[in-house]
Amino acid sequence: MIRRRARRTVLGMIEIEHLTKRYGKKTAVDDLTFAVKPGVVTGFLGPNGAGKSTTMRAIVGLDAPTSGLARVNGKHYSEFRSPLTEVGALLEAKSVHAGRSAYKHLLALARTHGIPKRRVNEVIDLVGLHEVAGKRVGGFSLGMGQRLGIAVALLGDPAVLILDEPVNGLDPDGVKWIRLLLKGLASEGRTVFLSSHLMSELAQTAEHLIVIGQGRLLADTTVDAFVSGSGQASVRVVSPDAARLAEHLAGPGITVSSPERGVLEVTGTEASVVGQTAAAHGLVLHELRTDRGSLEDAFMQLTADAVEYRQTTEGANR
Amino acid sequence: MTAAVMTDRAAYVPPANYKLSAAGLLRSEWTKLWSLRSTWIVLLCAVVFSAGLGALISSSVPNDQAVGGADVALSFSMAGISLSSVFVAVLGILTVTGEYSTGSIRSTMSAAPKRLSVLWAKAAVFGAVVAVLFGAMVFLTFFMTQAILSDTELGSVSLSDEGVLRALLGWTAMIVYLALLALGIGAILRNSAGSIGFYIGVIMILPQLAGLLPWSWVDDVTPFAPGNVANTIAMVDTTGADLSLGQSWLWMGIWLVVTFGLAGVLLKRRDV
Repeated sequence: MIRRRARRTVLGMIEIEHLTKRYGKKTAVDDLTFAVKPGVVTGFLGPNGAGKSTTMRAIVGLDAPTSGLARVNGKHYSEFRSPLTEVGALLEAKSVHAGRSAYKHLLALARTHGIPKRRVNEVIDLVGLHEVAGKRVGGFSLGMGQRLGIAVALLGDPAVLILDEPVNGLDPDGVKWIRLLLKGLASEGRTVFLSSHLMSELAQTAEHLIVIGQGRLLADTTVDAFVSGSGQASVRVVSPDAARLAEHLAGPGITVSSPERGVLEVTGTEASVVGQTAAAHGLVLHELRTDRGSLEDAFMQLTADAVEYRQTTEGANR
Repeated sequence: MTAAVMTDRAAYVPPANYKLSAAGLLRSEWTKLWSLRSTWIVLLCAVVFSAGLGALISSSVPNDQAVGGADVALSFSMAGISLSSVFVAVLGILTVTGEYSTGSIRSTMSAAPKRLSVLWAKAAVFGAVVAVLFGAMVFLTFFMTQAILSDTELGSVSLSDEGVLRALLGWTAMIVYLALLALGIGAILRNSAGSIGFYIGVIMILPQLAGLLPWSWVDDVTPFAPGNVANTIAMVDTTGADLSLGQSWLWMGIWLVVTFGLAGVLLKRRDV
């Protein structure tokens, strides 16, 4: 008789099962179930107050769930013998005593696990805080605080990274840097789970997407599927001959609108078709671009539905 | 990138030589304590007040004051030490509440998610620092002030006199006890202002006021108040004390167990 092994937890997998967390009467997370796989960057999307931070805090054992489970590698976080090498977390920027230097903060954490000073210096260099490492954290900007938080998360060289709004307060260079860093870490086979309320940010960094609203799961899908499945791509054209181009483009299934003079937004066709049409009629184009940035719209639609649903159920219960 | 990584994306294995340990937590708390400017300032104040106030008060004792005995001579010496114990208690509170007010507790508890070991490590490190520092300060202040008092009618007390060495060690133990009690209160209340207010109001002042209350039973229980139980061990002559030496130690133990027991239970149960 052949017995197949029961489904095993993949190394580095984050599993959230029927997680519910209430603070008094307020339900922050409501029966949430999803899994985060290693090897890709997974985005955690939701408006402020959707329960992203609460979920992340539950994963690292800071908040005890009202019911349900949050596990990494099939274990509760407190069961790990070396938590910092299993999971690195950036939960809130400046989870640091304002009177302590960045170096000493990292050193104090490193010492709990016997992590050598060499590694402390390594992460300080990695996040670019070398010059201010000896300064008191109280004087740090938000961006510097974020970098320190990322250094803390990376300190134990962990298999799983959980980052709550890591981009907040970073300058454009910093945003680019962290995007590359996270993709690099994921390509090494690590699990990277980052939250944001900025949909455009996640679209550029994440491959997979967990979307929540009001503590409930709204979508668990790839970023591509999420975008293409909801909003239609539109083609934006800037042309001095916009009016004539609009006439030539008109056809079944194609809508053309003009948000301002000389600008067209075309849906139902592709940029190449628009370009060919313009060339065929000798029309000048100043700009031709496909807008796929409808993640915002897709997200708004989803969360709006969730809000509506909740309100009707609450009304029925009353 | 190797083929193994491509096929099995979970191939990343974290370093195996980093392990959370009790020794690591102690070293971490040591680093945290000394990396704050407030620690240095408060402890420097404690040293200056211990020696300075002791010397000042001892040198202002009237030359013709003859009544008293060893306990009075010692109380002049230790006047600054007892004031400094308040500084140390506040510092003990801040080692815990400072982590909550700044949010660094989240980093701390992420590194040690079982939590209780953090509390024990904090108490052990802070208790040891206070024991060493005040052990030194109590004896230093004693020798200095007794040299000053030797010119007075009251006369100096010698370390070899009966009960004096025990009383000086008792002073040190009392300061350590109060420091730990304060740290435990900080861990229970988690708020700096609330904890300091509670310590000064309930632990220090309330037992002094209790004697003014109109009920007689209050006088019976006051000696057992957490702020009073350590008094006996700091006396040279304990015959007139409310508690015996043994009772004094026992009740110090009871109050520490109660405080840290409650702090431990709450630490486990509450969200960070």
